[in-house]
Amino acid sequence: MKNFLALVFTLFLGFMIITALSNNEAFPKYGEADVSTRVSQKYLDRSVNGNPGEIIFREATNLESGPANTVTAIVADYRSFDTLGEVTVLFISSLGVALLLGSTKQRRMELDFHPNFMLKVGSRALFGIILMTGIYISIHGHLTPGGGFPGGTMIASSMLLLYLADDEFRAKIKGFKILESAAGSAYVIIGLLGLLIGSYFLENLLNNGVLGYLFSAGMIPIIYVLIGLKVGSEISGVIDNFLTEESV
Amino acid sequence: MLQYAAIVLLMLGLYGLLTQRNIIKIIISLNILEIGLNLFIVSVGFVDGGLAPIFTSVNNSSNLVFVDPLPQALVLTAIVIGVGTTALGLALAKNIYQKYGTFEIDEMGEE
Amino acid sequence: MSAILLIAIPLLAAFISILFKKASPYILLFVSFGSVIILGYLPLETITIGGFSAPYGINLVLDQYSLIALYVVDTLFFLIVAIACVKYKKISTVLLVALAGLNGILLTGDLFNLFVFIEVSGIAAYLITTTNKKPLATFNYLVAGTVGSSLYLLGLIILYAMFGTLNMADMSANIASSGLTTAVAFPFLLMFIGLGVEAKLLPFNSWAKGILAHSNKLTGPMIASVYAAAIGFVFGRLLTSVFVFSDKLGLILTIIVIATIVAGEAMAFASGKVREILLFSSIAQSGLVVLIFLQGFVGWGVFLIVANAAGKLILFMIANHASDELGTDEVKAFKGLFVNNKVIGLAFTVASLSAIGLPMFLGFVVKMNILGDLFATGDYLIPAVILITSIVEGIYFVRLLMKLWYKEDNLPVVQYEFVLKYVVVVLAVLIMLFGVYSAPVETTANDIDANTIVEGGNL
Repeated sequence: MKNFLALVFTLFLGFMIITALSNNEAFPKYGEADVSTRVSQKYLDRSVNGNPGEIIFREATNLESGPANTVTAIVADYRSFDTLGEVTVLFISSLGVALLLGSTKQRRMELDFHPNFMLKVGSRALFGIILMTGIYISIHGHLTPGGGFPGGTMIASSMLLLYLADDEFRAKIKGFKILESAAGSAYVIIGLLGLLIGSYFLENLLNNGVLGYLFSAGMIPIIYVLIGLKVGSEISGVIDNFLTEESV
Repeated sequence: MLQYAAIVLLMLGLYGLLTQRNIIKIIISLNILEIGLNLFIVSVGFVDGGLAPIFTSVNNSSNLVFVDPLPQALVLTAIVIGVGTTALGLALAKNIYQKYGTFEIDEMGEE
Repeated sequence: MSAILLIAIPLLAAFISILFKKASPYILLFVSFGSVIILGYLPLETITIGGFSAPYGINLVLDQYSLIALYVVDTLFFLIVAIACVKYKKISTVLLVALAGLNGILLTGDLFNLFVFIEVSGIAAYLITTTNKKPLATFNYLVAGTVGSSLYLLGLIILYAMFGTLNMADMSANIASSGLTTAVAFPFLLMFIGLGVEAKLLPFNSWAKGILAHSNKLTGPMIASVYAAAIGFVFGRLLTSVFVFSDKLGLILTIIVIATIVAGEAMAFASGKVREILLFSSIAQSGLVVLIFLQGFVGWGVFLIVANAAGKLILFMIANHASDELGTDEVKAFKGLFVNNKVIGLAFTVASLSAIGLPMFLGFVVKMNILGDLFATGDYLIPAVILITSIVEGIYFVRLLMKLWYKEDNLPVVQYEFVLKYVVVVLAVLIMLFGVYSAPVETTANDIDANTIVEGGNL
């Protein structure tokens, strides 16, 4: 009975959402969004603080926001305060997992199966490749899709591979904590430097260079590397907390 | 079409949350709800015939038609927040299992 | 001095304090005290972040409304931390992040930034409630909070697709100039439901019973007083400056809120446990706050939140300490508690009489003015609801007070430490002071009303 009521309720709610959206004359149909009436047009043209004219790849210099990837420009430059909040969410989640599951003396959790020797050795070769991919994506966030968050997750998944392939492996958690704390504090300190030296919190202080080169976009690659390291170490800490238990 | 799929996923997740009594299934329904929501957000920014909003050596001018990059940036943040809540939910599930010995809410008895 | 420091310094302290675990309670005390002091030096302005002015960047808004909100929330936060941090040392980093998140909610001028900071302080709240040692209740809170935030985000994206901007002032200007009221009703309803989950409005508050009925000295006051005040202030900012109501939507929302108030008072009347009485009274008060903002009275809504937050802090702190020591919170076990603790009893009495709205206390001044303004607009249903529920509240609070002051044998023995006594006495004295000498309260409330209505969407 309860399942039937829930089904009726959700069907009714879905139907209501669809009719409300199709009767809404201001809500554009799928595929017909008019970007020029939205805030994003100025993000695409990099013309929030003045118009630079047409932007050509590898020729435009010192735009107000340097990355060739406009999504990175929004995440790390125009709306970087949201990114600070997001970094804080991950920080407090990993801290919460450590609070809930942590204890003083720990060892790996006992499982029913034991991986064999070939798996242990082969995974070490794969670990390096995954780690390199994660670092590449994290550094090239301003030129290709990706950035700090997927890069950090790939770094953490290389650690997960080692944990799954070897049931006696434990990484150095103390090192992760120091890395996480240092990267997070560095991000806030960069913001405060912007307040002291420039005039706004989280202002981009370095020169924005030529659009499309690796060394361009001011501080954004630095910020993305910090975020990648932070995310990687946090998620590795979460993995470690889940796969250990109290030792007798 | 894509927006209908997103709404269907949203409603599936909501149905799961209302009817399931197993902790792990509730967490999975929550994730389905968030996937539907993120899909809907991205679909709001699509432009027919638009390119990905990245300047490359092929799409090298700003006079081309790009899709809306702002919903993509919002979804980046929303996905990460979803991951954080899921991690906390699973840690709580492990604590619940250690305390009560089961994942079913109906078998847990006391308040 | 810029208001951004209110968010940046607690975050920096939180990131550093995981390396220095022994010193983290002292860092917490120092930073929360500092955030109260710094409020005196901040000029009222709009602060741009990153060099890109609104609506293309994010801005923080520090006007008279947010300054009062910051004072209230930061001071109460510092008081709770001063009393409870001795016992709960492991949670200090989480409390620092909660402080940053609460300041962010009250200061921000951008709707998506509001979502991010609601998530930050929400996750901090889930972790604070884990000190209750009831993982199932925390899990229910987590699920309810996440569903609420997702509904809020869905409403926000529909509004973005319609108007193309995410900034609060810009959005309200666009809505006013476009003249669409029925089309925006649906996204507004979604956003209202999303925020209403956290604010304990009626159909969505099943989590509140689990968390607050088994709360301890840190969780109870923090969730019921500080978080409730912050969400109340957010509702006030959104309902009066951004939203525009068609009549049908206003009717639906008023029904939801009145149902909350009535149900809350009824369940408090029928309950036999002290913490449950207090938590149902909290739910009813949240509903009353949203009702006042729906009718458009900003100034008195603000003071209702202030009176409510201070009163609930006293009530929850005293009740939770007693139930910690006695192990139970049935009213029968509390009988005669105040005979040996007269100072505590007086503070509890002052707070509960102020919640009912008796003369000589701040609650009376607020309720009188609200009823007066409502009668002036010609509405009779809402004042009737408020009066009837106040009477019901009066009955059960007085009943509780009589049991607690009743002198008999086998009195329960509870020791209250000095810091707690000092704090509740000071707050109770302030409630009485502003109840009797109410002129500054009235002028400030009319000030806020005038400023907000004149500026409208141009915050």
